[in-house]
Amino acid sequence: MIDPLQTALIVVSLILAAVAAVQVAMDRPTGGLLLGIAALLELGLLAQAVIGIGQLVSGDRDVNGVVFVGYLLATLLFLPLATLWALGERSRGGTAVLVVAGLVLPVLVLRAQQVWTPVGA
Amino acid sequence: MPEVQPTNQGWGRALVLVYAVFAISALGRSSVQLAEKAGEAPLAYGLSAFAAVVYAVATFCLARPGPRTTPLAWAAVGVELVGVLVVGTLTVADPALFPDDTVWSAYGAGYGWVPAVLPFVGLAWLWHTRPRR
Repeated sequence: MIDPLQTALIVVSLILAAVAAVQVAMDRPTGGLLLGIAALLELGLLAQAVIGIGQLVSGDRDVNGVVFVGYLLATLLFLPLATLWALGERSRGGTAVLVVAGLVLPVLVLRAQQVWTPVGA
Repeated sequence: MPEVQPTNQGWGRALVLVYAVFAISALGRSSVQLAEKAGEAPLAYGLSAFAAVVYAVATFCLARPGPRTTPLAWAAVGVELVGVLVVGTLTVADPALFPDDTVWSAYGAGYGWVPAVLPFVGLAWLWHTRPRR
């Protein structure tokens, strides 16, 4: 796994959460800016999944492969599903969903990284 | 025509997402635990699976409110509250009882204590959206 990508993913996730929080405060429904950030983030998550699975398959690392791939796929599916759920209500209630999504994603990225890097390694 | 509680609207949408996250993570955790080492700590793993079901029912019923699902949502969130309090207390009092972690161990400390707060938020939300006569 390449650390700069994970760091970037975490930073962009937190930006998503922060921008969404501002939009909630401004009583706005989910708009183009948030969808753009989410799309960018999803591209990064896709890259992470491809790179991660590629490294798992090509390397002989002592990693719990099922759990690792599970986290990568969960991370990949989470944002589109959360975005659909957010768009289901055109009010700030929908936008608030993206605040939660932006705060949950860093945890998922960190967990995938932890699984990749065994304790004490 | 009974009133439908809008548990999936407004702030409820974000709450449903939080419940979904816990449903999926508890489900993931318990499947891995049961698949890889079912015999090691059956009580803890069975409890993880039970927690997963409780979160899944709560998620579904909060997301799709109706005359049948909303009472189930009350029940699921109630069970969740009892679960996190009982399991949290037991794990703190006697760590040997549960050799491996569950979502509710130590009041959900491993999950940023969100599991301890979530049922209170869930009950408050169900109460807030109840039908007014």
